[in-house]
Amino acid sequence: MLINIERPVKVMLIDDNIIDLKINSKIIQISKLFDEIIQCQSAEEAISYFTRHSNALDKLPNLILLDIQMPEMDGFEFLDNYKLLPDEWRTRCQVVMLSSTLDYGDIRKAEANPHVLKLLKKPLIPIELAAVVRANFTITG
Amino acid sequence: MTRSPVKVLYIDDEENNLLAFKASFRRQYEIYTANSAAEGLKVLENLPVEVIIADQKMPLTTGVEFFKSISDTYPDPVRILLTGYTDISALADAINHGDIYRYITKPWNDLELHNSIKNAHDAYRAKIDLRNKVQELEKTNDELNRFIYSISHELRAPLVSVIGIVNLVKMEGLYHSSGEYWELIESCSNKLDYYIQKTLQYYKNNKNLSDRSDINFKKLVDEIIDLYSYTDRDTQFNININQPHPFIGDAFRLEVILGNLISNAIKYQKDTEVHKIVDINIDVNLYSAEISITDNGLGILNEHLEKIFTQFFKTKNNKGSGLGLFIVKEALNKINGKIAVKSSLNQGTTFKITIPNAN
Repeated sequence: MLINIERPVKVMLIDDNIIDLKINSKIIQISKLFDEIIQCQSAEEAISYFTRHSNALDKLPNLILLDIQMPEMDGFEFLDNYKLLPDEWRTRCQVVMLSSTLDYGDIRKAEANPHVLKLLKKPLIPIELAAVVRANFTITG
Repeated sequence: MTRSPVKVLYIDDEENNLLAFKASFRRQYEIYTANSAAEGLKVLENLPVEVIIADQKMPLTTGVEFFKSISDTYPDPVRILLTGYTDISALADAINHGDIYRYITKPWNDLELHNSIKNAHDAYRAKIDLRNKVQELEKTNDELNRFIYSISHELRAPLVSVIGIVNLVKMEGLYHSSGEYWELIESCSNKLDYYIQKTLQYYKNNKNLSDRSDINFKKLVDEIIDLYSYTDRDTQFNININQPHPFIGDAFRLEVILGNLISNAIKYQKDTEVHKIVDINIDVNLYSAEISITDNGLGILNEHLEKIFTQFFKTKNNKGSGLGLFIVKEALNKINGKIAVKSSLNQGTTFKITIPNAN
């Protein structure tokens, strides 16, 4: 079932690597897939963003692009926190994992997680991201 | 290296035997004696004894009973049983349950006993050395695993960032802004990435872990085609999969095998070919999966056919690494699969594979 979202559509990037954060923001900007980009350099930063905006649902991103390998809290640990969020939040705010991993264990774990729409491989390819957006959302406004 | 003398514990209820033993062997060994099983246990608790000699006939606890009682707590020391009479049932019991290395009849012959202790000690060393080697190997293996994991992350992540930057350069229309430099960076990065991926595949295949997953060939083939054909949209795939039975197999190795063969079929096409075609046929029965992958590409020279599965075999004019088909063959070996190839130059190539169904 497609999730209906309204403009401006927002994406959150969670990645400890500043260069990848920069590259992926730029790719999303140029491909115009999202109107707003929220950059987080760690999973902790993303969680504090959620806590800070717990009263303003319209501030939440519609999609999170989540890296796997990160120091301290990794992508899977972030998902453990994410799944505790209220249903309504999680519907408004879907997760796609974005990683360069070739580790079979990681890949399987990501694909098996019910909260992950898809695992995208780095480098981020606009048509692949566009396909995920098209398969899951209808954008209005 | 001089080793400290062998530590021998001798348990016997007859004081005279203990004294005689000491007198005969104190120069060669570090000797501890005990006049009962309980006393012997005390020595064991405090000292790393390497060889234990016990008399069978003792009040309270016999030699065999003593050996049995320490088989879990002190498995390492090598045991020698001394018996004054030939009690077959005690011996059978000792050999079956007490883990006895030798038995010697009383009265002992000094030379025979000396040789037995020496051999027993060699057996002890061999056991300990083996255990240390196993531990070392486990540690090395563990480090190698972590190394491989870090290659798949730390080493590859920056490379993938570079490829991402090149993509960005293309998106911004700057790809041709510096002559062919961007193109060269891209081709070097892709090559390096390819080698990293193949190295990981080869290593992972080498590990003997095998898994039993439920394989859906349709899904697997679709994913592989998705992965390899997005750079080349011209190839037409004719896929024919007949899977009326479940197939249980090694998911990683199947992906490696099909991935390498399908990407080869896409890669080794004639530049002039307008209708690039790859046929994939898969038939699953209760016992096996029969797979054939056919392309209408460059084909393989007859004299090369035998060598294509060897490591680092490359032909002059192709862009391969000499690893793909080698890895395919290695992976098939691990899962008892078979492969055959037929090819004619400039007409195309067919690979036929049989993989047993672990159902």
